[in-house]
Amino acid sequence: MQRRQLLKNIAGASTCIGASSLLMSVPFAVNAKIVNKNQIDPLANIKTSFADALKDNPSLLGLKNTANNFAHQQLTIEGKLPKDLTGVFYRNGPAKYEQGNQRYSHQFEGDGMINSFTFANGNIVHQGKFVETTKFVQEQQQNKFLYSGPLSDIKNSRKVTQADTVNTANINVIPVDDEIWALWESGSATALDATTLATKRRVNLGANSQYGDKLKGLAFSAHPKIEANGDIWNFGLSLSGHVALYQLSSKGLMKNVGIINARYRGKMLHDFLITHKHILLILPSLTSQADRSHSNLKLFASIEYDSKQPMRVLVIDKQTLTLKKQYELDAGFAFHFGNAWEENDGTIHFDASINDNFKVMDELSEIMSGTAKNLDQNSPHTALFTLKPNGGTTKVVVDGDSEFPRVYDHLVGQRNKTLYTLSHTQSQFWRDTVCCLNMDSGKKDTFIYGDEFIAEEHIIISNTAKEGDGYLLGTALHIPSKRTCLNIFSANNLKGGPICRAWLPYHLPLGLHGNFKAS
Amino acid sequence: MKTLFIAIMTTSMLLTSTHALANNVTFIIDDIKSDQGKVYVQLFQGEKNYQANNAYLSSIAIAKKGQITITFNNLEDNDYGIRYFHDENDNSAMETNLFGMPIEGYGYSNSAKANYGPVEYQAIKFQVADAAVTNRSTINY
Repeated sequence: MQRRQLLKNIAGASTCIGASSLLMSVPFAVNAKIVNKNQIDPLANIKTSFADALKDNPSLLGLKNTANNFAHQQLTIEGKLPKDLTGVFYRNGPAKYEQGNQRYSHQFEGDGMINSFTFANGNIVHQGKFVETTKFVQEQQQNKFLYSGPLSDIKNSRKVTQADTVNTANINVIPVDDEIWALWESGSATALDATTLATKRRVNLGANSQYGDKLKGLAFSAHPKIEANGDIWNFGLSLSGHVALYQLSSKGLMKNVGIINARYRGKMLHDFLITHKHILLILPSLTSQADRSHSNLKLFASIEYDSKQPMRVLVIDKQTLTLKKQYELDAGFAFHFGNAWEENDGTIHFDASINDNFKVMDELSEIMSGTAKNLDQNSPHTALFTLKPNGGTTKVVVDGDSEFPRVYDHLVGQRNKTLYTLSHTQSQFWRDTVCCLNMDSGKKDTFIYGDEFIAEEHIIISNTAKEGDGYLLGTALHIPSKRTCLNIFSANNLKGGPICRAWLPYHLPLGLHGNFKAS
Repeated sequence: MKTLFIAIMTTSMLLTSTHALANNVTFIIDDIKSDQGKVYVQLFQGEKNYQANNAYLSSIAIAKKGQITITFNNLEDNDYGIRYFHDENDNSAMETNLFGMPIEGYGYSNSAKANYGPVEYQAIKFQVADAAVTNRSTINY
C-alpha cells in the first residue's frame, strides 16, 4: 500500500468529522520546508511561505488568494470573434484561499468563485463572483476561517453538523433551466442567478417531486452528465460507501433516484460516466481507515492508494438504477473520464485520464505553500478501456499525458471519435497544451501555448450535432503580463492556433471546470 | 425511532418518590423555528442506556417558535444526557434523507453538536445530585 506521507505529515491532531466525501476533518498543515516546532499556526506559515515563493516563482500567480468579486469588464479582442458564438461561458474554481493570516493547506479547500464570460453584440464581458455559501458568508463576516477543511485544521473549529455546513461550491458549474448550479461533490448544489451570479439557494434535489425533502443534503457530484435529451444524470457518494444515483429533467426536477451499496472505502469519487443504457461507476484504487471518528487523520490524509486493489466498474441499468454487472481493472486512480458508449452486443467503451498513484493530492497541497517545483511528474495519461459482455476487458494506453477530458455535448453517452484534453509540453509547472485525439486514427491535433501560459480546461461549443464543427474555448493565464485570456479555436484545427483571443487586463484565479450556455 | 418516542408524558414523576425533590432538570431549547408539530425529548441515564436507545424518561412538547422548556423531576442521583428532535410534520418520526442524515431539527443537552453521526454520550452528559439543574441547548436544523 502506498502511503501518502506528505498529507499524513501535514496532519496533526484534532477534531474529526465524518460523513460525506470531500469535506471533513483536518490535520495541521506543515510540510518539510515550513515545519516549525514552536507553536506557530501552521496555516500562517503556509501563507508566509507562499508569499515568499511567489516572489521567486511568478507561475504561482494563479494560486494567489482572491479577495474580492470582479466587476463587469469588457475584454480586449484579438482576431475575429465568431458571430455564431453567443451565450455565456461559466467557470468555477477555488478562489478564496486566505482569511486573516491563515492560508489553506490544499487547493481544493478554497471557496468557489464563478467567472462568467458573456458573448453578445460582438463583445465579451467578464464578471466574477464568489458563491455565497453559508460558510463563505459567515467567514467573510468575521474575516477568519471558522471551520476546518478536509486538510486544514482550524483551531476551535465550529462543529460540522452536516456536509453542507462546509460546502464551498468550488468545482463545476452547469446551466439548469434559467439558473446556474455551482457544484461541489460532498453536498448540495447551489443555485445562482445566471445573469447576476447572485447566490439564490441551496438546491433541495427533491423539491416539487415525489421525493420531497428526502434528498435534502445528499451529495451531488460536480460532474453530472447531461444527455442530448436534456436529462441530467449524476451521483453522490456517502462515506458509508453507498452511492445515490439521480436522473433529473433539464429543468432540474428529480425524476428517479436509486441507491447502490458500492462497498467503496475510498471516500473520494469525483466523476462517472453514462452510456445510452447504463451508468458506469468507476471506483478507483483508493481506501481509507475504517473509522476516522477514532483517528486524528483528516479526510484527505486518511485516503490511501492501494496498488493491490483493482479499480472496479459497476454497470448500472439506467431504467431501474440497479446493478447489472461488475468488472475489475488494473489498479489506478482517475479524477476524470471523457465519455462512454455501448455497442449493440453490450460491449462498453470508455476513456479515463488515469494514473497509478494518488500523488496529485500531495502536489495540490504543496502548491499552496509554494513548495511544489514540478507538477508534471505525476500527470495522468489517457487510457481507453473496453468491457466485454463475457467479462473480459482491454486497456490501451495513449502516449503522452492528459487531463480535463471533454467530448461534444451531443455525444455524451454516445460514440465519440474525438477527445479533447490538456497536457504538458514545454511547461514544467502546469499544463500548456490543448489536444484533440482522433480515437479512430490515434492522430493528435495539438496547440502548444508554451511555458509562459498556464492553460485551463477547454470545452467544445457547437451549434450542430457534427463532430469537428464548432469551437474549442478555454482560458489561459499569461504569466509574464499577469493577465488571463480567453482563447477560441476551430475545433477541427487546434494546430492553427486561436482564431480569436480576448484579454482581461488582470488575471483570474486558476479554476477547475466550466460549461457554456448558448443564447 | 417512532416507538421510542411514543411515550410517557412524564414531566411529573410518580415512580421515584424516595429521592430528593430537588433532583429536577430544567431543559431549555432555543431557536425553534416554528410552531408546527411537536418536540420529542428523551432523557437517558448513563452511557449504556444512551447507546442502547433505552430512555429513562421521554416527553413530548407542543412546538413553539423560539424557546420551549421541559422539566424532568425527582430523578435519581446519576449522570444523564438528553436528545430531542422537532417533529415539524407531526408524523411522530424524525425525518432523514436517503443517507440517514436528519432533515428535521435536532439537538442534545449541553448544546453538544453532532459531527456527522450521533454525539458521544460524554459530550451530552450532566450530573444530577441533590440540586436542581438547568441545561440549555440550541436546536440544529
